[in-house]
Amino acid sequence: MRQTIRWILILGATLTLFSGCATKTTNIDMNNDKGEAVMGLDYRDFQGAAQDMTESLLASGAVNKKDGGRYVLVVSRIVNDTMQHIDTDQLVKKIRVGLLRSGKVVVTTAVGVNGAEDKMAMQTRQELRDNEEFAQKTVAQKGQMIAPDLSLSGKILQRNIRVDSKTQRVEYYFQMSLTDIKTGLAFWEDERVIGKRGSNKSVAW
Amino acid sequence: MKLIILIILAMFTLSGCNKSAQPSDAIVKIIDKCGDGSISISDIKGRKKSDGFMNAQVIGENSSSNYQVLEYRIVWLDKDGFKIESILSKWKSIPAYADQPFYINATSPSTKAKTFRLYIKRDKEVICDKQYDGY
Repeated sequence: MRQTIRWILILGATLTLFSGCATKTTNIDMNNDKGEAVMGLDYRDFQGAAQDMTESLLASGAVNKKDGGRYVLVVSRIVNDTMQHIDTDQLVKKIRVGLLRSGKVVVTTAVGVNGAEDKMAMQTRQELRDNEEFAQKTVAQKGQMIAPDLSLSGKILQRNIRVDSKTQRVEYYFQMSLTDIKTGLAFWEDERVIGKRGSNKSVAW
Repeated sequence: MKLIILIILAMFTLSGCNKSAQPSDAIVKIIDKCGDGSISISDIKGRKKSDGFMNAQVIGENSSSNYQVLEYRIVWLDKDGFKIESILSKWKSIPAYADQPFYINATSPSTKAKTFRLYIKRDKEVICDKQYDGY
């Protein structure tokens, strides 16, 4: 009997030990996240960069069309020159939404670095044109698309610097340009730098 | 005896493993005044630019002898007092150097902005909440 109780207690303690070690999963409050910083880029870095870039762009007056209309913007290549796998839409989408909501810019998805961004829109136009199954007055005809006025391009860079045997510094540079397609002149450019210092054991990719 | 040692060991390990993913004091306390303590606001103004966007400028002062990192947020409101949703209304940090004024400059997210409301917080406590009532 004594032996049984002993084993039950040992088993109970072991089970509690393992269940207690599991980190509890919680949802992050995305509006007030004071969680630990990480050496890599996280959503807070992209949000901050997008916020600064959008404000800088709107404040510059570069998207203010003289006749009061809206500029048509195409998103060009955003180069990821970091050691991390980044979908640059994490940055660009936020800027696009900000610009669209400003009422000064409209983004085209008919043109892109790798062809049309919305391939279905282009395909639908071409496939339905002259197709007798569809009422042709509801099909987009040739010459209706609007060409872009401005092109947004950029680059994200990473530099790793060894501070001492235990510490490293990682610098991230967000660089963006807005080019007037007709003249090829950059109407707006800006850069935001994010620096992180941490253990050499942390891997920034 | 061995059993007691085992239980004590388990309890020690458990207390070490109790790690929370969220800071326990994540709730923001709001105080509806500016000027108390070391951070004060001396001027708040807005103007409408020729392109329709609104500019906000806030001048504050850090009267303490310590460098502080503050966070601020500007909520933009339209003519009917409705909040304009934007990425530009997220919290941003600003340095407040010891015994020096600090400046906050912001541009509205759209031309519909008519007024704005400013919040400044230090750590997790909002220490200033002020509204500019139209240009």
